Amino acid sequence: MIKLFSVKEKAKKDAAAANGKQQKTTAGELRVQKDISELDLPKNVSLRFPDGNDKIMNFEVTLKPDEGLYKGGAFLFSFAVPSGYPHDPPKVKCLTKVYHPNIDLEGNICLNILREDWKPVLTITAVIYGLNFLFLAPNADDPLNKEAAQMMQQSPAQFERLVAQSITRGCSIGGDYFPPCRGERSS
Amino acid sequence: MTFDVKIKKWHAVASWTWNAGDDVCGICRMPFDGCPPDGKYPGDDSPVVWGVCTHAFHLQCINRWLQSQAEQKCPFCRRQWEFKQAAVGGEDSD
Repeated sequence: MIKLFSVKEKAKKDAAAANGKQQKTTAGELRVQKDISELDLPKNVSLRFPDGNDKIMNFEVTLKPDEGLYKGGAFLFSFAVPSGYPHDPPKVKCLTKVYHPNIDLEGNICLNILREDWKPVLTITAVIYGLNFLFLAPNADDPLNKEAAQMMQQSPAQFERLVAQSITRGCSIGGDYFPPCRGERSS
Repeated sequence: MTFDVKIKKWHAVASWTWNAGDDVCGICRMPFDGCPPDGKYPGDDSPVVWGVCTHAFHLQCINRWLQSQAEQKCPFCRRQWEFKQAAVGGEDSD
């Protein structure tokens, strides 16, 4: 039995040494590292680290819907992962101004898993699939851009035209100008 | 003919694993047999717990999540979270 205990003591020492080495990496970063290394993205999505590959808590995602009303557009998102991740959801904003019922003109996004339905077993991959889904199936029942939602419900054909026009050539809708959606930051 | 064997030395080896039905904790994604991010030592110091819904997490991970939530639900299936009592002699660690 004595041997067993000494083995356990050694394991504790090893674990402590390993912990010492990783002191600079927080729990949140560790989890993001795992998420990033296991990323499983659809072909129409790309991800990059504008602050360098060691600043993994902030990154940008470009999404190019391959079907649906928003096909042909490219949309840039910023991800800011809080230190409390995965207990707190990543903060995601749409940097490309877009005419969409669930995205307001400041780039705030209404997606359930980013707010009330977030749970810590979700991953960065899951959030990206959620964003992708938002462009395939805009949801007028839960709007952030009320004018767009109203248009989508009352005149779907007109809504479709406005979306197509705004993302390809850019146009003004209700006094707001929407530049073409080319995956750039609109400011 | 018989041998008269005298044992001079013996070396015991034991191994343990959490019988969690999964390799990693869904919250921290660290191995169940390792530690959650805030844990220092694997094993008894990083216990694994089960809900009645059969989903398992590191105790530290699920506690932190439940403490931040008004409603106590499993992060996997959203069923009401209740700690499952370990079967006696069933899910032993060491």
